[in-house]
Amino acid sequence: MDRFESILDESISALQAGVPIEEILAEAPDYAQELRPLLYAAMVLADPNPVLVPEERKEALRTQYLTQAAALPPVTPTFSDKMQAVVHIVQRRLTRGALLNDLVTVSLTVALTLVMTALIVSFAARDSLPGDLLYSAKRISENIRLSLTFDNQQQAALENAFNHERISEIEQLIQLDRTAIVQFKGVLDTKGENLWVIEGLTVFLPEDGLVIQGDPQEGDMVDVIGFLETNNVLIADTIIREPNSP
Amino acid sequence: MADEPSLLERIKRHDQQALAEVHDRYFNQIYHYINYRLGDSDTAADLAGEVFLALINALKNGKPPKTSLSGWLYAVARNLTADHIRQKVITVPLIEDLEAETPSLTDQIYIAQLTPTLKQAILELTDEQQHVIALRFGQGLSLTDTAEIMEKSVGAVKALQHRALASLARLMPLEVHQDG
Repeated sequence: MDRFESILDESISALQAGVPIEEILAEAPDYAQELRPLLYAAMVLADPNPVLVPEERKEALRTQYLTQAAALPPVTPTFSDKMQAVVHIVQRRLTRGALLNDLVTVSLTVALTLVMTALIVSFAARDSLPGDLLYSAKRISENIRLSLTFDNQQQAALENAFNHERISEIEQLIQLDRTAIVQFKGVLDTKGENLWVIEGLTVFLPEDGLVIQGDPQEGDMVDVIGFLETNNVLIADTIIREPNSP
Repeated sequence: MADEPSLLERIKRHDQQALAEVHDRYFNQIYHYINYRLGDSDTAADLAGEVFLALINALKNGKPPKTSLSGWLYAVARNLTADHIRQKVITVPLIEDLEAETPSLTDQIYIAQLTPTLKQAILELTDEQQHVIALRFGQGLSLTDTAEIMEKSVGAVKALQHRALASLARLMPLEVHQDG
């Protein structure tokens, strides 16, 4: 019976959508005999051209209704009314559309918060030195700026500015007599036996553990990783000749 | 336009703007429902007016609709219509202008046979069956909307619709069935 009731309802929907009865019956041949009189009845029962109430009559009834409505005393909402209103609001918030809106709002808020936090940290880290808590944030911020710069000339200028910033950081560390692991790029000015001068900085080459790659010569651009000691001695750990060095 | 639950909450507070919105939104539907069942547009307009005045009285007496506003309005319309049918002999109207449906010639002949029979047969239906017929075919409401207004399950309305149409078919002359 449930099966027939479903077929009947589907047939009625098709009928209301304008599908001819014979076409509907052809779709359900096993039930056609039983469906036919019901669908004819449904067709006759349909009211495609409902009579409209005259506007002046409707307006008169509306006026009568609103006059009586105006006489209703005002109602102060009770605690229960307020609770019900809250429940209705919550129920409306639990719909799929509302949840989607909430998700978008939360995502945008989180994204905005992250961007704002990144900007604030980047601003606070701009004067940090190697060994400081925010120094990593400063380097990440520089890498992001480099990766977001697509013009080759601008990128080279930015890299040059960052190299100068590294040298400046080391000079500040020396003035402050602080120890730190440092990294910088610069031109190999003088190449002594144990002491090299790179970009004006004197770099000590230890006998053990030093890595030198690319056989750098004076005038070459090199990448240096080293350790700055408190006695202002910069001990090299790795010196690599830049591949595009002249 | 406010949704029905918030409209209901506002009319419970006697919000005049919400009360006006209720009339503007539901009057035509209620009028069509009553007119479908009575076939008397004058009486239908009067009774539709009474439905909305009943809403004002319910609010005045502190007995507003609890869950479904449209369900409450249709329930009052149904009771007023049933009362009116009990008091008077009603000729149930069915559409006169079938050209709008553009049925085939066979359909037209069948419908022509069926219409006067149905007019009598529909009066034999229970009030609940007439109610579901008026909502589904007079108002053109979906099964889900009809179920919501009648505060029944979709399955129950489906069964009720089937029984109503089957009763109409049974009440028709035998030769009409055989012609199909």
